[in-house]
This record gives sequence, C-alpha cells and structure tokens, in this order.
Amino acid sequence: MFFQELWQLLKKDLKVELRRKTSISGVLLYLVSSIFVLYFTFTGAANSIGAATWSALFWILMLFGAMNAMATSFYETGERNQYYYCVASPTTIILAKAVYNILLMLLLAAIGYAFYILLMGNKVESSAVFVLAVFLASAGFSTFLTLVSAISAKSSRSPFLIAVLGFPTIIPMIMLVIKISKNAIAGLALENSMKEVLVLVAINIISLTLSYLLFPYLWRS
Amino acid sequence: MKLASQTWFRALTIALLLYTVLAGMLFDVPRLPILNESIRALYFHVPMWFGMVIILLLSVIHSIRYLSGFDIKNDVLATQYANVGILYGVLGLLTGMLWANYTWGTPWHGDPKQTTAAIAVLIYLAYSVLRGSIEDGDRKARIAAVYNIFAFAAMIPLLFILPRLTSSMHPGSGGNPGFNAYDLDSKMRMVFYPSVIAFTALGIWIASLYTRLQFARNSFEENNQQ
Amino acid sequence: MSNLLLSFTRFAQDQIEMADVLRSSGKIYVVVAILVLVLGGVILYLFRLEKKISKLEKEVSDETTGAEYNE
Repeated sequence: MFFQELWQLLKKDLKVELRRKTSISGVLLYLVSSIFVLYFTFTGAANSIGAATWSALFWILMLFGAMNAMATSFYETGERNQYYYCVASPTTIILAKAVYNILLMLLLAAIGYAFYILLMGNKVESSAVFVLAVFLASAGFSTFLTLVSAISAKSSRSPFLIAVLGFPTIIPMIMLVIKISKNAIAGLALENSMKEVLVLVAINIISLTLSYLLFPYLWRS
Repeated sequence: MKLASQTWFRALTIALLLYTVLAGMLFDVPRLPILNESIRALYFHVPMWFGMVIILLLSVIHSIRYLSGFDIKNDVLATQYANVGILYGVLGLLTGMLWANYTWGTPWHGDPKQTTAAIAVLIYLAYSVLRGSIEDGDRKARIAAVYNIFAFAAMIPLLFILPRLTSSMHPGSGGNPGFNAYDLDSKMRMVFYPSVIAFTALGIWIASLYTRLQFARNSFEENNQQ
Repeated sequence: MSNLLLSFTRFAQDQIEMADVLRSSGKIYVVVAILVLVLGGVILYLFRLEKKISKLEKEVSDETTGAEYNE
C-alpha cells in the first residue's frame, strides 16, 4: 500500500517533469552556460587552473545547480497535484519527493560532470572515488534541500529563504565532499577517505530520517 | 523557566560567576610557553562554547516539546534560548579571535574548530531570519521548531565530528574533545568547570527573563486586539 | 646533582614570562576589582530588567481582568 502510493506519486512527478521539462532543462541550461563561462575564462591559458580551483568550481556549480533544482519542489499547483496531495499521507509525499529529487539530481550531476570534464579537462587521479563523492553529494544535497525547500515554501519570502537556510546547513556536507575530492585528486585510494565517506552516508541517512519525521508537522500547516 | 526564578539558582549563579572572576584571575596557573599569562582566557573563552552548545541543546529540546504538544510557551523558550546561544557563539568567536591573535599570530587562523563554530553561528542566525519572515504565529512556531531540530542535527557533525577528522591547533583534537594539554593541572579544572556552570546558568537566567518579556508582550497584543 | 637538575628546570620555568610584576605589586587586585564591578553591573541590570517585566506582567493581567469586568 505504502509502496504503491510512493510509486504513484513518483510517477506523477516524473510525468509532470517529462511533459514540462522545466526544471531539468532549466538547471541544465544553468550548468552548461556556467561551464561555458568558465571555459572561455580559462581557455588559452592552458592548464592555468590548479586542481584545487578545478574542484572548487565544480562543487560550486553542483551546489547552485542543486539549489535551483530543488527550490521549486513544493510549488506545484493545478488540480491534479492538489488531488494527489489530499489523498496521500505526508510521509509518502516527502519520501516520494526526496526519491524523485535524488534521481533528478543524479541525472543532472552525471550530465554536469561529463560536460565539465569535456570542457575543463580531468584533474582527478582516482576517478572512482570522485564519482562516489559526486554520487553521495548529489543524494545528500537533494535530501537536505528537499526538506529545506519544504520549510521555506511555507514562508512568504521562500526563494530568498531557501538560500539563507540551505547554505549554512549544507556546509558540513560540502566540507566532507571537498575532503574526499582532494584525496581523489591526489590519487589516494578509497581507504584513505573511508571516514569521510561514512560520515557523509550517516548525514544522508539522518537527513532522510529527519525529513520523514518532521515533514508531517510542516504539511499540516 | 521556573528554575531561573528560584532564589538559590540566582545565588548560585552569582556566586559561581564571582568565583570564576576571582579564582580565574588570582589562582596559580601552569607556566606554559607562548600562552604565558593568557592561559587564563581559557576560563572565559571556552565556557562560551560549552554554554552555547548546552543552551542550544535546551532550545532544541523545547522545540521538540513544542511539536509534541503545541504549547506556545515551549516555542517562546526555544526562541529565547536560541538567541542566547547566538550571543554566546558570537562572544566565543570574538574572544577566540582576540586570543588567537596573540598566541597563534592571526585572528583568523583557518583552524577547523574556528570555522565550524562560525558556521554554527550562521546556522542559528538563519533560524532567526526564518522566524522573521513568517507572519502567522502558529505556523511560525511550527516551522521554526522543525528548522531548529534540523539545524541542530546539521550542527552536530559540524561541531563534534568534522574538527576531529582534521588536525587542529586547539588542544585535544585527534580523538578527545577535552583539553589534554591542560589536563595535568587539576587546579585549572577547579576553576574551569564552575565557570562553565556559571555562564550556562547566566544564559538560562537571561533567556527566562526574555521569555517572560515576550509573554507579557504577547498577552498585551492579544488584549489590544480584543 | 639532582638538586642542580631541579634548579635548572625551575630556572627554565621561570624563564617563561608571566605577569609576575603585576601580581607582586598588588595591582592585580585593581583588575579584579574592576571585573567584579562590571559583573555586578550586569547582574544589577538583570534584576532591574526583571522588576520591569514583573510590573509589565502585572499591568497586563490587570488589564485583562479589567476588560472582563467591563463586559
């Protein structure tokens, strides 16, 4: 029953997205044009950016991309949505949204990463570790920001608020991710960043649990 | 809230604060290089952090209690505790910068504990921005409580896990959060722990006063609306 | 020999500069007195604040009962 409901909501979100393609194409446009800006800025002076700058720019792109993609999570109107939201229970709604956002973010991160490497070159020695970092970070960003956008959607100044609430709370995750990518760029094996990976996984689980526990209180108001 | 209006609580707070100042300035301290006499700043700087964490913990406890019963009193308490927590955090940052300037050489040293503490303050500043941007009282209380719990959960790895994954100039990093370097000296602990209690109690006292003020204001507004 | 070593370590410790002059001249008590005064001022402020709040609370509750009386 629960999974059926979850699946229905997920399907609804996917259908809406496939029909309108607004958030995917919007964020992709943002990612691609920013990468082009970086490319034009640094082109000519080949290898002019160091590995640290390379990774900083990549994570800034990812962070703002996630912000843009998740900001509109709870803005849907229309009769169909209203109907779904009346019938489904709040815990299913938040889980469906989180799962949908994770999938969306993974897709965006994959495309963004590929395009970034294409234009800016690859500075990572052990790519597998870096890909793991990208994977964990996109999952983490999306669960985190889903709850933040749910909170900010309930206030009057929400687009402003998602940045105010989201940035400071997401910094711990970014610090871990940057640590892992530093190790990956240096070519260290996964064992060296195992601690960070485990903490990151723990943060993901905690934020998912908190969304599950806290969202009903938001939804009621 | 009841606790802070008890006479014994206030007497204890005042006595401990006095003891902190007197003993902190007059008792013997170990002679350590670089720190020199400034080691006494430990009695006043570190209790700001301990006090901040304890008071923010009280704040989040009241937020949880608000969500389980929707008693507006818990919401007001959570807000005022968060405000005092921010105050202590800012004071801890400023005193830390001052101390670091004379012992580490620069006010902002990129030390992980310093950065993470600054971010913790930012997280709670965002809490008050959130409160400021919602008009409706009940909804404000509920959303703020949700964010408070979320923010506290986000702060725990920041304060307790991340600094230990990297090397820090603060004593006791690399496993123990305590201060190994000073642990030898039990005399310092005789002042340090009372100081933590004193400043935490002072924070609770201030928060309880502002809670009462907020309450009086709320009922005043209600009266005027009628 | 051990005595010599002891005195040497004592010497090394004494090398570390502390505010010993401030202490021996007794001026440290001036600093302590100032700190105690500041602390006293803060606590006095808290008590005065509480007095005002109590007055406000009383006024508010009087107003409520007064309003009920009028009705």
